[in-house]
Amino acid sequence: MQLTEIDNQNSFDNNKAREKICARWLKEQGKSVHKLILLAASIGIINGVAVIVQAAALAFLLQAIIIDQLPWAALIKPLLLLSGVFVLRSLCIYGHQILGFEAGAQVRASVRRQLLDQFLILGPSEIKQHQSGSLSAVTLEQVDALENYFSRYLPQQIIVGIVPLLMIMVVMPVNWVVGLIFLLTGPLIPVFMALVGMGAASANRSQFLAMARMSGYFLDRLQGLTTLKLFGQASSELIAINQIADGFREKTMAVLKIAFLSSAVLEFFSAVAVALVAVYVGLGLLGQIHFGPADHIGFSEALFVLLLAPEFFMPLKQLAINYHDRAAALGATDAILTILEKIPATNTDGRSSHKTSLIEFDSVSKSYGQRQVLTAIKLHIAAGEKIALIGESGAGKTTIFNLLLGFEPPTAGHVLLNGLSLNRESAAKAIAWVGQNAYIFHGSIKDNIALADPDASEQRINNAAQAAGVTEFSAQLPDGLLTQIGERGYGLSGGQVQRIALARAFLKNADIILLDEPTANLDSANKTELLAVIDQLFKDKTLVIATHDPLVINRMAKKIVLQQGRLLL
Amino acid sequence: MKDLWFFLKLFKPHSGWLAAGIVLSLLTAVAAIALLTLSGWFISATALAGLIISDGNTLAFNFMLPAAQIRALAIIRTVARYGERLVTHEATFRVLAGVRSWFFEQLIPLVPGRLATMRSGDLLSRMTADIDALDALYLRLLAPASVALLGLMAVSIFLAFYAPIISLATGLMLMMATLAVPWLFNRLGHAGAEQLVVLSANFRIRQVDMMQGFADLLANQAYGRFSDFLGQVSDLMLNTQRQNNRLSAIASALTFLLAQLTVLLVLVLAIMLFKQSLLSGTALVAVVFCVLASFELVSPLPLALQMLGKTQKAARRIRQVAEMSPTTPPSIPTLALPESYDLELKNVSFRYPDQQNWVLKNINLVIAQGSKIAIVGISGSGKTTLLQLLMRYYDPDQGNVLLAGQPLTQLDAEQLMSCFGVLSQRSQLFAASIKENLLIAKPKASTAELASAIKASGLDKFISYLPEGLDTWVGESGVMVSGGEARRIALARLYLKNAPILILDEPTEGLDSETGKDIFTALANFAIDKTVIMVTHREAGLALVDVVYGIEQGVLNSSFAHFF
Repeated sequence: MQLTEIDNQNSFDNNKAREKICARWLKEQGKSVHKLILLAASIGIINGVAVIVQAAALAFLLQAIIIDQLPWAALIKPLLLLSGVFVLRSLCIYGHQILGFEAGAQVRASVRRQLLDQFLILGPSEIKQHQSGSLSAVTLEQVDALENYFSRYLPQQIIVGIVPLLMIMVVMPVNWVVGLIFLLTGPLIPVFMALVGMGAASANRSQFLAMARMSGYFLDRLQGLTTLKLFGQASSELIAINQIADGFREKTMAVLKIAFLSSAVLEFFSAVAVALVAVYVGLGLLGQIHFGPADHIGFSEALFVLLLAPEFFMPLKQLAINYHDRAAALGATDAILTILEKIPATNTDGRSSHKTSLIEFDSVSKSYGQRQVLTAIKLHIAAGEKIALIGESGAGKTTIFNLLLGFEPPTAGHVLLNGLSLNRESAAKAIAWVGQNAYIFHGSIKDNIALADPDASEQRINNAAQAAGVTEFSAQLPDGLLTQIGERGYGLSGGQVQRIALARAFLKNADIILLDEPTANLDSANKTELLAVIDQLFKDKTLVIATHDPLVINRMAKKIVLQQGRLLL
Repeated sequence: MKDLWFFLKLFKPHSGWLAAGIVLSLLTAVAAIALLTLSGWFISATALAGLIISDGNTLAFNFMLPAAQIRALAIIRTVARYGERLVTHEATFRVLAGVRSWFFEQLIPLVPGRLATMRSGDLLSRMTADIDALDALYLRLLAPASVALLGLMAVSIFLAFYAPIISLATGLMLMMATLAVPWLFNRLGHAGAEQLVVLSANFRIRQVDMMQGFADLLANQAYGRFSDFLGQVSDLMLNTQRQNNRLSAIASALTFLLAQLTVLLVLVLAIMLFKQSLLSGTALVAVVFCVLASFELVSPLPLALQMLGKTQKAARRIRQVAEMSPTTPPSIPTLALPESYDLELKNVSFRYPDQQNWVLKNINLVIAQGSKIAIVGISGSGKTTLLQLLMRYYDPDQGNVLLAGQPLTQLDAEQLMSCFGVLSQRSQLFAASIKENLLIAKPKASTAELASAIKASGLDKFISYLPEGLDTWVGESGVMVSGGEARRIALARLYLKNAPILILDEPTEGLDSETGKDIFTALANFAIDKTVIMVTHREAGLALVDVVYGIEQGVLNSSFAHFF
């Protein structure tokens, strides 16, 4: 796997642009939970104030004990105050976590909803292009990966902007030299933060990129393991995998060497601040230096500023840790946005016709990219007609059905239903459809029959089951119509699935019935039986059957022949 | 825990790096604690010395040494932190690389038979995510836990020099705060966590159901109902997570409170000792500062314990796959590959492991070397399974598959594979250049051989359009290759491998008729002196073969006429 520097640069630039889009979207999602995030941050800030009080109380106590040698009675009050601060800080930790979670949870619920709605907007042709497993990984895992960005990162970002400033403001009047040390070692917090942020982000990015590539390569070889084995290359691939992992490690470490400087810098400043403060106030107490307020330092003030020194850097350190959450959220956003950004092909211009045939195809063409599937189809179907739609596989029969159902819009021309431009809703109302591979959902046979109308009466469901011949086999099942089925109709034969699907269509009681190759996968005895059922079920409906089975064609009154996307007259 | 131990064994070759990482982390933590403790001691010492000075008695206080020590500690802390980051990451990368290749090695014998059931990319990608999740085992779990344990021991020993009772109290309290409380709440949250697993499995099943039956849902106006239900499952999941989060929030607050109470307890004990003159003023400050600073040691532990469950689950999943037994046991003793390639299925019956239905029923079929046959049947009739038995992806439950009269079970699996060239509806392309993709079939192929394979498979036109030609990257994140071009690449591989038996599994499925025709023409030229076994459910390509069999529900017929 050779990657040139240019590849690296390009992918880096692309990533950067993409990351901006993702970051903007994340911010947008945060708006609805702005209050919760603010609240979580406020609690964090209260905690920060408590830290200051705690340091003051401790410093006072130690002075009272060691220098002033006060009796127990005088120590009780500050000890109680200290305990109070401890309890308050524990409560803050609890509240911060609860509120943060709520912010994240609300965003996740809303993003999940957006995704489910988007699936509907995209329609079946788009959905089919994705593995259903990977789609559920997006709605489940990727959405969950957003949580910590909202629950931890965003509140912490606010806290970092305020708590260190508060500490400087408190320390300044106590000892302005120490205040200055804080100000200089945490040099202009926002600038410093940006530096750390940039370092951490680029470290993350290159680390993520390398990791993603390595995982990608590994997954690629894993999926192709059968092929590798067939060519006797499995063992040699093992060596290649090792080499690549090694190469990636070296490259990544080279980048990380620089990136980790940011955490070293953070550590350095925090250590130097403590050291400087300790030496300065220590020598001041000894009377060895006289710079600034050194001569007037008291023991408790000295302890107070020393105790605050490490705390001053805590919020910043926490943010550096939370940067991982941000990176994870950005990665997840990328996956989520690839779905949300997709724009479905739509056909907006409404059109109506004067002629009142039930269905009209007005010069309809359809192409997928370069491939022309339907060319200038002109077609009228009147109510009550029984039609065979005939053609080899690949002639465009299924596409005609997809257009009729509004699953996808035509590339050119119009499909009209009752003289009006057809859309998915109007089609779903007027049409019952049984596809080539009717899908059986997890649930009982009864649930599957009542798909279109879950409130249908027992009586109607039983009638539909009876009429479509479902009862013939369901009677032999332990729970009859209530038998649980699912996962591509596991346990049912192809013919049985067809009958359930027919019962489903019958129960829907729509005006137009579309059947796509209903006799495929059936032997001739079953075919005849099924065709009799179809005749009987839909005798007063408009019926269109897509087929190339002569047995079916002969039974239908009208025939429409498709050849390579054109109508033969 | 067993699962984690299992992986720790895999970590062994890298123990040097792992230990170095832990030592450096420990050094960073100890330096930080020492820095604050020493600073506290220094300030109180100077304050007391200063008092004496102002009293008029000049007492020599050597401030140079502690001041220098403080600066040294600050530098040690910085350098150790940097080193720790580098070394722990180096260690993690090494460990992950090791686990990856180990996992790949475990999978080789399982493919294709055993893993056929988990072919979906989703599951495999989860496996790679699981391996990635194992990095937490060292970085988030092993390293912080060791550092906390060793650090706490060091702190306790240090405190024991001043006051044994304080040392004991600190050690016990901090252990309880950071181990007992998170452990207890993890237990309490166990039911919720299990429920969450069930709920998310439910969510996944429901959504996969929805996506696969998408068209049926739309046509029946049922999408809204199903997606509302999914929304409810999502709400249930969030509720369970909310309860779990509440537990974990209580645990964090309690851990923190206990740790702070430790400070309070130490403070009170120290005051008592101070009042009895058992502890000096400077020592008192040093002790309190030391305990305060030790929080840094234990603060990552609650998070580590939270990671434990997740990491364990990942480890378990990887282990389960790695410990599967192959569908075909290795053949001992192995015979040398016979000279001729006559294939025979003798009374072969087969059903997939864990399944009731027989997929193949008492099949008898002789395929002489050089003969060309086709087997037609609808999907699910068992025709692909029959091919897989010929290549020994599985062993039959009854009967025998023979190559030149020898049972396949007595031949070396790798040598057996060298007899077959396969063209199926799934052409596996790797994320690599076109050239590398072709060379998989014959790593040492000469340029001339490559050129003739490309020409014969009709790839030349496609390649001439590409600016980078043969070096064009294909597969994931490469140039998009159409199904037809992918099939041609697979065809070129078939040429390069030049195996005596050609297995064609619906070789033109999913292609437009033009490309399909091309493929069959190319195959007809190539297959002249080879055995051809093709399965299909279409009429196209039957001209390639001499004999056509039908297969229906696992039963082989010599007639197929009624099929079309």
